[in-house]
Amino acid sequence: MLSMLAMCAMATIGITIGIIVMLVTQSWHFFNSEYVSVTEFLTGTRWTALQSKNIEDADFGIWPLLSGTFRVTAIAMLIALPSGLITAVYLSEFATKKVRAVLKPTLEIIAGIPTVVLGYFAVLVIGPSLQWMTDGGFDAFNATSAGIAVGILCLPMVCSLSEDALHAVPRALREGAYGLGCTPFETSVKVVIPAALSGIVSAFLLAFSRAIGETMVVALAAGTQATYTIDPRTQSQTMTGFIVEMIKSENEYGTVQYFSLYGVAITLFVITFAMTLIGQLVRRRYRESYA
Amino acid sequence: MIPEQTQPIRLAIDMPQSASATNAPTTDTSAPSPADASQSAEELCIEISHFNAWYGSFQAIHDLSLDIRRNQVTAFIGPSGCGKSTLLRWINRMNDIVPTAHSNGTLRIHDLDVLSPSTDVVHLRRQVGMVFQKPNPFPKTIYENVAFGPRLHLKLRRGELDELVEWSLRKAAVWDEVKDRLNAPALGLSGGQQQRLCIARAIAVGPEILLMDEPCSALDPASTLAIEDLIYELREQYTIVMVTHNMQQASRCSDRTAFFFEGRLVESGPTDDVFTKPQQKRTDDYVRGRFG
Amino acid sequence: MNIESTTPVAPNDSESQRPVPEAIRQGASATTESTQNSQRRIRRSKTFYGICVSVSFLSIVVLAVLLISIAVQGRSRLTPTLLTGAHSTSEPASSGMYPAIIGSLSICAVCALSALPLGIGTAIFLEEFQPTNPWLRRLHGFLNLNISNLAGVPSIVYGLLGLSLFVFMFNAFGQIKVNESSGTELMGVERYYQILTLAGGGDSVLVRQTDLALPTITITEPIEAVDRDGNTFRLEVWDPKSGTPKPKDPATQHRTVRLGQSGGAYAKTSWYYFRLPFGRSFLAAGLTLSLVILPIVIIAAQEALRSVSPSLREASYGLGATKWQTVRNVSLPAAIPGIMTGAILAMGRAIGEAAPILVVLGATVAKNSGPQNLMDTVVTMPVLIFHWAGDPQVTYQQLAAAAIIVLLLVLLLMNSLAIYLRQKIRVE
Repeated sequence: MLSMLAMCAMATIGITIGIIVMLVTQSWHFFNSEYVSVTEFLTGTRWTALQSKNIEDADFGIWPLLSGTFRVTAIAMLIALPSGLITAVYLSEFATKKVRAVLKPTLEIIAGIPTVVLGYFAVLVIGPSLQWMTDGGFDAFNATSAGIAVGILCLPMVCSLSEDALHAVPRALREGAYGLGCTPFETSVKVVIPAALSGIVSAFLLAFSRAIGETMVVALAAGTQATYTIDPRTQSQTMTGFIVEMIKSENEYGTVQYFSLYGVAITLFVITFAMTLIGQLVRRRYRESYA
Repeated sequence: MIPEQTQPIRLAIDMPQSASATNAPTTDTSAPSPADASQSAEELCIEISHFNAWYGSFQAIHDLSLDIRRNQVTAFIGPSGCGKSTLLRWINRMNDIVPTAHSNGTLRIHDLDVLSPSTDVVHLRRQVGMVFQKPNPFPKTIYENVAFGPRLHLKLRRGELDELVEWSLRKAAVWDEVKDRLNAPALGLSGGQQQRLCIARAIAVGPEILLMDEPCSALDPASTLAIEDLIYELREQYTIVMVTHNMQQASRCSDRTAFFFEGRLVESGPTDDVFTKPQQKRTDDYVRGRFG
Repeated sequence: MNIESTTPVAPNDSESQRPVPEAIRQGASATTESTQNSQRRIRRSKTFYGICVSVSFLSIVVLAVLLISIAVQGRSRLTPTLLTGAHSTSEPASSGMYPAIIGSLSICAVCALSALPLGIGTAIFLEEFQPTNPWLRRLHGFLNLNISNLAGVPSIVYGLLGLSLFVFMFNAFGQIKVNESSGTELMGVERYYQILTLAGGGDSVLVRQTDLALPTITITEPIEAVDRDGNTFRLEVWDPKSGTPKPKDPATQHRTVRLGQSGGAYAKTSWYYFRLPFGRSFLAAGLTLSLVILPIVIIAAQEALRSVSPSLREASYGLGATKWQTVRNVSLPAAIPGIMTGAILAMGRAIGEAAPILVVLGATVAKNSGPQNLMDTVVTMPVLIFHWAGDPQVTYQQLAAAAIIVLLLVLLLMNSLAIYLRQKIRVE
């Protein structure tokens, strides 16, 4: 019986290995193709896997997709990190029981909303509002509206992980700060947040990784043009958005264009895996420091 | 044990109350030197009368009146839950951060009405420093811990700050142990050193009163002795109010002792009197270790 | 000391006692300057508090705007047809999401059946059987780290893994191609050729297919056949050119075919039809989703087990119970409410997940029933919403909003169930 449990546990390692084997073998078909060079993939600034009819004309440079991903992620983080942290500070330092009883379930509901719903919200409300506010300065599908929706999606995560970290700060430190004549603001910003910093950093990293891997919102709201720019008002296909487009397209399994999605996927996996790994390691350290 | 006497005993005051009122803190008197201390040994510092405090609906302190004198160590003793820590935490309004805590009555430091909603608690806590049961240095360097308070309240040049940090650490008798590692993390110090660092941190903002909530209960005997010596020294410049579970400690380092029981003040007076010829039976039982 | 002190030095002053720094001498009293300083800081603190409150309540505003805008958009499409109809390209207005609701629920069931035992088993292993051997401890730590890393892998990557692992099975069992190969079939399928008989009116008999490579058959001689009721009989051949009159008797007509009549392949599948690889089937989709939620289930179950008070376990050991008895009779029952809650939350995540399903099953939504067998393809609610939301037609846009309302209601139902179960178990 114990061995069965052990096998369950080993299965989780099997999944990790499966992911790596799958990505490496499938993307091998892509990187090994005569139309693709790894250097071009890592440095190229044009990505036309879906647009070009002939394989000879197709460009496989990852940067447009990367720039799309980072535009969306940057906007998402601009929204989720400050507001998540401030909400966490409010919940852990100031909020009364009644306020918590309202705010916590609200955040849990937001966390439970399927991402496709937020994507639809971005298309239905955020995009048109941006266009209306700027008099058409934004494309119908753009990085900003997708970024805002992804930010809403990451907010509960940032908030609950940061709140855990703030909760782990001993009460004695707060009392020490108040005892020296700190205002509540000074106690939070000069004592509690620095003491919880590693936990907060790990929350940020995990949210960052989540935003990079987010798929449905960008597939709906960010557009289908892979553009190499930093302009957040334009269409910006992300790595995940491209994978979805390729799946939706009529490209047959076996073509270089089809396998290019694995090249993108392995890039995505490496980035998010690294972020998560660092985030988890940092998180473990802060958990130990107050254990 | 049911308290027979509901009327609290009021300390005999040698000095007229008005003397303390007129002696409002000024630049000159706020930094008492030993010379000042000898002059005003019996001066009134904290005046508490008909004070009640609650946590939610639980009344922790009942109609308590007590005077605390300047440049003396006053020890609060009594069994757990008798309200001594609660009273201490009201003196610098630390209970403000407990949402259910409330109180009424009079609690004055010189002419400052501590309980008034308009009281500037930031300034109050600067005048009334606090040292806690468990050493609670911030997870910063030793230097940063001591410099933390002055940085909040004052605009100081680097040199002035260095000087202030050194003065505070010397005052707290920990300078010699840490002078070579001021930039090391404070959490790396031993428990006793941490507690003295916390005392240095408290005096660095220039308080007049120091509140100590069982400052030695988390320490080993050697560290306890060091802190007790320090408390004895500090008395020359600060008015110290100390809560303790340890009656020997109260008798060793306090000038006056107040015995609390079930939220009421049973007896208070010079420490020697309280321990050797207590007026109340319960005090006698307690100091002889019959309960508590 | 570089600052000259004006403090009078008392004769009894010991050498260690240094003069009070000027900073403290000036700072401690309630001068106007220090009052201004503290007033300013208190004001700043109040501003900060105001920011905290407004930012925190912004999330409530966002949620309200989201729900209201979707309700307004989808209001007009919340009709019975939405719940009973299927997606229709020709008549958008009569589209519904019945197959998607059934599809989502069945995928969720597969997902629960596979992820929960695996996840809870792993959690029990990691929490209840903590090794003392340093090497095994390291392995334990690695397993934990690996699980938290898996929780951070984007769901679309799991979709790609599911595509390789379940849909194609790394092509180890042959490739599935329409009319050519169905991979390795294990059970639940009988393959026939369907041949029209002389009775007309679409009446047909079945002839067992022996070679899967031949998509059609041409009847040239009498052959063994099966009728609709499963009775085997000998199929006669009638050659119009031979001059033999066409049989008149309906019973004979029913068992006779024209010479040279050809028949196409026909597969009769039972619900337990099983083959390798799974192809674009709901089984593959369910298993893929179970990979996505597995880390969530494990972490929730671990936390539930961790929160069981150690004194309970010690009491059990103290009574002489073995490790297994303790797990089964003490830890697991005490952790069940927590595990259930975590499991249902994970199921909610699974129901709302679209990206991996999109990868595994493709973006097609043309299906008008739930899955008929394990290898049948399905439509799920999130995929249907994605399809509708991406369509420029206003009708589909409104349908998407209406479908979102249904999806959110299903999620709400599940979460209420979780809360109810938790309360119920607590009370008992």
